[in-house]
Amino acid sequence: MQNTDPYHRHPSISCLLEPKDPREEEKWAAELIQECAKAIAEKDSSKIHHLLWMLNELASPYGDCDQKLASYFLEALLCRATEAGELCYTTLTSAAEKRHSFVTARRVMLKFQEVSPWTTFGHVASNGAIMEAMEGESKLHIVDISNTYCTQWPTLLEALASRGSDTPHLRLTVVAMVSMGGSVMDEIGRRMVKFARLMGVPFEFHVVSIVSTLGQLTEEELGLRKDEAVAVNCVGALRRVSVEERDAFMRMLCALRPRVVTVVEEEADFTTSRGDLVACFEQCVRFYSIFLGMLEESFSPTSNERFMLEKECSRSILGVLACNGSGVCERREKASQWCERLTEAFATTAFNDDVIGDLEALLERYREGWSLVPAKGDAAGLYLTWKAEPVVWASAWKPIKP
Amino acid sequence: MAGEAISSSNPPPAKKKRSLPGTPDPEAEVIALSPKTLLATNRFLCEICGKGFQRDQNLQLHRRGHNLPWKLRQRTSKEPRKRVYVCPEKSCVHHHPSRALGDLTGIKKHFCRKHGEKKWKCDKCSKRYAVQSDCKAHSKTCGTREYRCDCGAVFSRRDSFITHRAFCDALAEETARVAASNMSRLTSICNGNFSFTSDLMRSNIANNFSGAISNTTMTEAEMVGHARRELSLWMGEGDHTENLSKRNDLLNPHQSKPLSTDDLFGNPFASRYPNQLSSIYSDELTSNALPTSRMKETENPQSLLLSVPSRSSTQHQHQHQQMAMTPDVSATALLQKAALIGLNASCATPLSCFETKSQECNFRFLSNSSLLDVNHSSLATLSGNTMDNSTLPNPLTRVYPTRHLMIQKDDEPGGETRDFLGVDAPTICASSWNGWV
Repeated sequence: MQNTDPYHRHPSISCLLEPKDPREEEKWAAELIQECAKAIAEKDSSKIHHLLWMLNELASPYGDCDQKLASYFLEALLCRATEAGELCYTTLTSAAEKRHSFVTARRVMLKFQEVSPWTTFGHVASNGAIMEAMEGESKLHIVDISNTYCTQWPTLLEALASRGSDTPHLRLTVVAMVSMGGSVMDEIGRRMVKFARLMGVPFEFHVVSIVSTLGQLTEEELGLRKDEAVAVNCVGALRRVSVEERDAFMRMLCALRPRVVTVVEEEADFTTSRGDLVACFEQCVRFYSIFLGMLEESFSPTSNERFMLEKECSRSILGVLACNGSGVCERREKASQWCERLTEAFATTAFNDDVIGDLEALLERYREGWSLVPAKGDAAGLYLTWKAEPVVWASAWKPIKP
Repeated sequence: MAGEAISSSNPPPAKKKRSLPGTPDPEAEVIALSPKTLLATNRFLCEICGKGFQRDQNLQLHRRGHNLPWKLRQRTSKEPRKRVYVCPEKSCVHHHPSRALGDLTGIKKHFCRKHGEKKWKCDKCSKRYAVQSDCKAHSKTCGTREYRCDCGAVFSRRDSFITHRAFCDALAEETARVAASNMSRLTSICNGNFSFTSDLMRSNIANNFSGAISNTTMTEAEMVGHARRELSLWMGEGDHTENLSKRNDLLNPHQSKPLSTDDLFGNPFASRYPNQLSSIYSDELTSNALPTSRMKETENPQSLLLSVPSRSSTQHQHQHQQMAMTPDVSATALLQKAALIGLNASCATPLSCFETKSQECNFRFLSNSSLLDVNHSSLATLSGNTMDNSTLPNPLTRVYPTRHLMIQKDDEPGGETRDFLGVDAPTICASSWNGWV
């Protein structure tokens, strides 16, 4: 880094600064980020320096999509370059935890669900599959491993209450990472209990707190009872299991003998490429630019909730790109990859027509751009697509009989 | 229409009452049509030209057009016996003759709805229906309904309303109001063992939930005896106070200071509950939550059981006897009455300062975040007593702790000696904790 002249242009990146046609101009962030990742992989320090400087100049968390992308990835790149990833992640996490409260989590989550079907899609699909699988059962136990703060359950409670025949007894066991804020979960639990009472559904709520990693979850901790029908609900959960532990985790779920396991994940592959920095960055940039674009189009421009979600993104990006995988690292996989893992112990079960109808009705209520596409080929289940890109995947599974 | 189970020698009443579906006249002729016949749209054929019609009336109208001679105008077959129809679907409850339906259109609709394909779709919301008339009926109201939460938020979508409601701070107030009107439940708290409220709350939904929940029925019998139930509270035993303190200890082992405004407004979500307590919490819930396994018998246990919807499962059958808020005896009136009873036992003055505060309530014993929203005038009138339920046999004092329990509030450290008249009350109202932050 001999040359600190800001106007010095490194030969290999000067081409990036040439005026391009307007369409390509918009993608400048992705290109810069990619170039920088390459530079880090190549350990080309002057190039790294220049690119980071450029990104820094152009980035802003308050700007347009590209500026935001640049901003959030800049942090990851910086950490990667200086190998300060773990530290940075820890700092971000503790800052997030301080901010974290029931009130903010509720506000952000509910607003997000109001403007975008990103999470509600998975909820409707999962609830539909659960209702179908639990038809006729009188004692239900749902093991909930999700990242949506129990916003899935009020509609299920209502469905149970209006089921027509006897209202079953529902036990809800939420598996929460300590990092997600145990106290928030307690408050949520109180609300759920009150609401269940209002709905007239006999209800029990229990939180299982995971201190280490999700992969360490054991059957005993869940406290299953003999006479109940179990459903396992994994929304954004499997990706939080560390890659090596995923198969074992699924075997553990199978051992619970659930009636159904619902899996909802975001469609991206950060796993295959985890050894390859450049490829990993590429996948991340691709996914997050879609996500940030979706957020921008769904929320109002000055939305505080959107900003909070974006902050979460940046932390997630950092976790994936700059951390070595220990701790909470959300390495997503695509549907086909999850299916390959799940088919070891489970068989896919289709969503019935009513659920499909409900999903279509759900999407009608949001802005243009969303649609429902059944998975094909190696994958089973349903995709939620945003501007023709599959972004969320929902599926339901039954254990294969031994 | 399916007749009632009366003998056929009775003259038919002027207007037949509808009985429960699927309880046919034992004298009726049972007809089992195949699915194909059932779904066939034009069952009624004109014998002259062979034209098919959906309804008999339409066929008769058509036949007139043929200018038949007088004799042939009569309908060829009389209706010798009443006909009832069974559902062709073997697994269906209405497949058996004893549960046949008396109306052909009815059985057709039933078959389509339950066992048929949903061919009809609502334009606005894509909801699917098997029967076209159901779909049309839905379309009329689709999108026009507004759901209003107590906190003031309005929703056009039911699912977002429900999700909001579940997390809304106004829900705590709801629970409080329900608590106030269902005080008799509380007597059972001291007796432990029960799981949860069901029909009671369900009927409350009809009152308090603006998005109407299906299946809420408030039968007459449910309302009857409500007043009796209310009064039974005052006769309740006193050992729930002991339970209260026990519960508090369990849930707040490290809480010694009184609940301050800081608790209310500061960081209500500081971790108070070590995780192992959450299981205790849930156990407590199941054992000490609302309604009762020991419902006081009313004078009409029979009628209650008969009139209650069959929805309740055996495990909370006793909860059938719980009730809805009766419009006849208002909760507010009862509470005020209770307040007067209580007044005799202790000083009256504190009450007056709260009578004027219509919507404010010193529900400090309610959970932190949900507490602040409580607006309940009738409860305000009860604030006269200190919550010294360890010593006072006063019925009033029982209201608080049990309602306290009902709300599942557990943050009340020394709840027993809490002074309701505490200065905190005004500050609660001052903030706008209603619903959304």
